[in-house]
Amino acid sequence: MAPAALFLLVFVAYPLLTLLRDSLYDVALMTPHQRVFIGLENFQRALTSSRVIDTAERTLRYTLIALTVEFTLGFLMALLFNHLGRRSELMRTLFLFPLMIPPIVAGLLWRFLLIDNFGIVNHILHFLGLLSAPSDIAWLGDRDIALYSVTLPDIWLTTSFVTLVLYTGLQNIPRELNEAARIDGASVLQLFRHITLPLLRPVIAVVVIIRGIDAARAFDIIWVQTEGGPRFASEVLSMHIYRNMIRYGDVGFASAIATLFLLALLLLSLLAFFSIWRPVQGRRDS
Amino acid sequence: MSQRTLQPRRIMLYALMLFVLLLYLSPYAYLLLTSLKPPADAIAIPPRIIPETFSLDSYIGLSQNPGVSRAFLNSAVIGVLSTVLALLLAVPAAWAVVRNGSRPGRIFLLVALITRMVPYIAIAIPLFALMRNFHLIDSWFAVSLAHTTISLPLAIWLLAGFLEAIPPELEDAARVDGCSRLGALIRVIIPVTTGGILVTAIFCFLASWNEFLYALLLTSVKAKTAPIVIAEFKTQYGLDWGPMTAIGTLYSLPVILFSLFMQRRIVAGMTMGAVKG
Repeated sequence: MAPAALFLLVFVAYPLLTLLRDSLYDVALMTPHQRVFIGLENFQRALTSSRVIDTAERTLRYTLIALTVEFTLGFLMALLFNHLGRRSELMRTLFLFPLMIPPIVAGLLWRFLLIDNFGIVNHILHFLGLLSAPSDIAWLGDRDIALYSVTLPDIWLTTSFVTLVLYTGLQNIPRELNEAARIDGASVLQLFRHITLPLLRPVIAVVVIIRGIDAARAFDIIWVQTEGGPRFASEVLSMHIYRNMIRYGDVGFASAIATLFLLALLLLSLLAFFSIWRPVQGRRDS
Repeated sequence: MSQRTLQPRRIMLYALMLFVLLLYLSPYAYLLLTSLKPPADAIAIPPRIIPETFSLDSYIGLSQNPGVSRAFLNSAVIGVLSTVLALLLAVPAAWAVVRNGSRPGRIFLLVALITRMVPYIAIAIPLFALMRNFHLIDSWFAVSLAHTTISLPLAIWLLAGFLEAIPPELEDAARVDGCSRLGALIRVIIPVTTGGILVTAIFCFLASWNEFLYALLLTSVKAKTAPIVIAEFKTQYGLDWGPMTAIGTLYSLPVILFSLFMQRRIVAGMTMGAVKG
């Protein structure tokens, strides 16, 4: 245990402490040794910067959209697979394959699919009569919809993960429980509400937390599609922090935003943990 | 009991699933097919789904680009280095936690879990400064270390799950026969957990293979990994979609084929990490 603990101490804990320290300084990327202590000024600047607030809001929206769609589709698929039972194995295997695609490739692929003039999506929509011309929707170029468009590869990649985990959770629900309830005259909907959902709670909590965190810190999948554009319409927090550090060389300010981001993520995960998982903690241990 | 009467509904359900599945797989199929078109046809208006003529020109173009093969090599080396490092650290740590079941062990597992909730950028910024102080920027070593911060907590969690299944008597027996604790781990425990260790290794490798942000910050020329090169492709060569689909295919297809081959094990690992979480 000791070597692993030491590694995490040096390469995770120590950097995080450095981050906290730097957030209190005015320090530039190129001259890290000329630092001026400025107290909480960076935090004050971050909390009053409209760009930071806009980016935070976009990050939240991106996360909520991706999570809601992934979770709904993934849950539906898990229920379907569960209904089909063991014979669905081949289909399940095929359904899992996007999990293995590097996010950067998924982002690139969707950028290609969504291009407005020769992208296949617009041409199919045009073919189906939904668009009057293939160039009608600029998925990644229109400021009003870019943030929604960039969630598509995320949803495509990770619906499989949601399905896989929820399916395993569903399989672990004892069959007798469902049968007993059905004999007592419970409808499918009642069965779902009173047996499936409560027993699935810990698994749902894990999925929501893992996927929520991953979506909130998304970087590459959006970067390769729009680099945060057009005119910041799809810029999320990770990206804004990266820009402040690399492009503007403002390490202190970047560290302050990153610290706030870190705290927000931890807080939200704890909230999700206690509100979804905790209520059935006792049962889990038995 | 009602199996027979449900038959038509079941067929409908299968048909629906098949349709959803085809729809779900089609974007990737389109990537494959486009990479096999002559590069000019990749950006034809209107686009064709099935290539008119098949051509390997996009791949040949890539093979003549030394930056691309270098980047693939970097990704592979960094993936292997960080996987080995993560396993070397995680196997004894996970065994100690599972074996002792003590309070510090639980706390350690919890810390490993919390590490997963930290945004990458929050570690990437100070890590950049740290690596720069040691003049390690743009080296395999720096990126491997950075990737191990992701794979180590993951590996500890997965391995703790696999090792829990091993009866502690196994170690005791080895100790009675004169093994040291480390000796017992290497000679007895590891050989009976090879399956679990293999799955863990796959996940560690994938975490590194797919990682972008650390590699972007910590490399500039020599150690650039493939994801960085893929992301830069568009700015450098404009709308050169033929080679771009080819490089996307090359970077993802081996992993997909390998994981289909290893599917059962991988599913076991993934659900263990999440369901047991």
